Amino acid sequence: MTARSADLVEHTTRFCRRLRAEGLPLGPGETLDATRALGSVDLVDREDVRLALRTALLKRVEDAPVFDALFDSFWSGPVPVPRNPPVVPPDAEEERESRTAASQRKRSVESWQDLEELAVPAPSSREALGRQDFATFGDEELRTVTALARRIARRLSARPGRRWKLSRRGEQVSLRRTLREALKTGGELSTLTYRRRKLRRTRLVILADVSGSMDLYARLLLQFLYALQNAFSRVETFVFATRLNRVTDELRTPEYREALGHLSERVQDWSGGTRIGESLSAFLVGWPRLVNRRTVVVVLSDGWETGDPEVLAEALALLHRRAGRLVWLNPLLGSPGYEPLTRGMQAALPHLDVFAAANDLASLEQLARHLSL
Amino acid sequence: MREEIQAIQQAMEREGYVTDRAVATAVHLSMTLGKPLLVEGHPGVGKTEIAKVLATVQQGDLIRLQCYEGLDATTALYEWNYPKQLLHIRLQQDGDRSIAAREADIFSERFLLKRPLLAAITHQGRPPVLLIDEVDRADEEFEAFLLEVLSDFQVTIPEVGTVRAAARPSVVLTSNRARDLSDALRRRCLYLWIDYPSLEKELRIVRTRVPGIDERLAREVTAFIHSLRRMKLAKVPGVAESLDWAQALVALHATHLDEELVRETLGCFLKDEEDLRTVSARLDAGELAALSSPVA
Repeated sequence: MTARSADLVEHTTRFCRRLRAEGLPLGPGETLDATRALGSVDLVDREDVRLALRTALLKRVEDAPVFDALFDSFWSGPVPVPRNPPVVPPDAEEERESRTAASQRKRSVESWQDLEELAVPAPSSREALGRQDFATFGDEELRTVTALARRIARRLSARPGRRWKLSRRGEQVSLRRTLREALKTGGELSTLTYRRRKLRRTRLVILADVSGSMDLYARLLLQFLYALQNAFSRVETFVFATRLNRVTDELRTPEYREALGHLSERVQDWSGGTRIGESLSAFLVGWPRLVNRRTVVVVLSDGWETGDPEVLAEALALLHRRAGRLVWLNPLLGSPGYEPLTRGMQAALPHLDVFAAANDLASLEQLARHLSL
Repeated sequence: MREEIQAIQQAMEREGYVTDRAVATAVHLSMTLGKPLLVEGHPGVGKTEIAKVLATVQQGDLIRLQCYEGLDATTALYEWNYPKQLLHIRLQQDGDRSIAAREADIFSERFLLKRPLLAAITHQGRPPVLLIDEVDRADEEFEAFLLEVLSDFQVTIPEVGTVRAAARPSVVLTSNRARDLSDALRRRCLYLWIDYPSLEKELRIVRTRVPGIDERLAREVTAFIHSLRRMKLAKVPGVAESLDWAQALVALHATHLDEELVRETLGCFLKDEEDLRTVSARLDAGELAALSSPVA
């Protein structure tokens, strides 16, 4: 590889990382696509470069403003060669890169917000509610949360899947099987075999952080968990701060206040420190059978880990392998300027299928999309 | 601009498809990277056309899978030809072959009905273009199934075995965004968003596709449609509507728009009762001239 193409790959990789930090769903595959795409266009033609990267990296038109703004600031010349090729040992180089990348990311987040303020029209009342932070929620809004939980539950409940299975009675005649039977009777269709769609059953496991740093969101999230638990039978709910507690049964009470009472009896360490990794390990050891390919695991936490991030990474890697999907909801992700830079969050990110906000109704609405397998 | 991209653009224009660099670049990359191209945009902006033109340019066959709600593998992939199997069983009745052998007979490739996906995979000769049209109308289960097929271009038929594509077809997916597609599917594809064309581009499209149209009429028609797109209509007219209208006007030997003519032909580009009323009201207010001249 020539020095120039090595630079190009590096520059492209950095560009992808920045886009990812802005929330575009990109992985190593897309970085590779981008590099290959650049290989098949004219690199001295800036418009060619822009269109090639856009085709490879943009996945929905809503992200176009972010892409275009970042492209303009990032690909300033026709050929992306760093002005002063760095002559430093790899370690130092990496450190320098991560520091500058972080500060650049921050800058671009700010400028992107300016952009968004210009582009978004005045919100309707429903939208306004959707954008209101949970931390400031009142009773009225909580009812909306309940309705939302019901909607999510409906989405999760058993739906006819794509695959069929044979059954004595069913929706359709299985011609394939019936024909096979007819071979024995010389082509006479004497018995009809039926088939029907297999039901897809998704199970939901929620692991919610109730430690001190989550206090602001706890009231609403509890309401959400309570509503979800009562709307949908295949939910298992756990809460943790320093220790893990299964609260499925406590939440399954017709009265919300009563449920809260049961909960506080059961859970001792409300709003203590946070040991996310240890709690998740305890879950894996204690309830190994709850998680399989038909399970969606949702971790609700701000990622302020006071334990060992290594333990957290290990537990999440295992969960990720076993579960159908691993979702991390972070209430802080919705606040402007937030970067998932805490040690806990950094350790967690590589193992997640979905990393999303959970600080307002709009973000919970989005959640429904991630919850069906 | 890279020569290949320019060549694609020219080839598309030769086929009567007025295009721009973004489209040509996306098609070029889809071909060189061998990845499916997901095309999104409003109805009637020429998403489907891309696949058709691509097939012509590549001199390959176009295989089309039209998606709809409830579409399943038997319509998209394959189905056994049951009447043919039944006839075969009857004809072979007197033979002394075992049931197992006869079963192997009727569940062989001869009795297979290839639906678009299998047809694309087993296609012989030049790789075809597979158009998966309006994928947003199929349900999420089908999307997951599609993802499997698109990732390795092979399918397993229990009675026959695994069938692999000899040559990977070029794949174009289109979506009107009736439903948000999964990130997984989006990430499998390269992406192209087609917006409504600019006034100049649409004028070129009208001139190309409606040969013999009066220059003044072409200008007025495109400007009028562009004015409509700025109004809040239930069904915003796409390029297809501009073309329909232009063709109708040419058939009526029109050389320019007048109020009566527009009123008579509103149905060519307005497909909603409420929209018809809105636009009629604007015409009543004597705004035809304003609507059919380009806005600065």
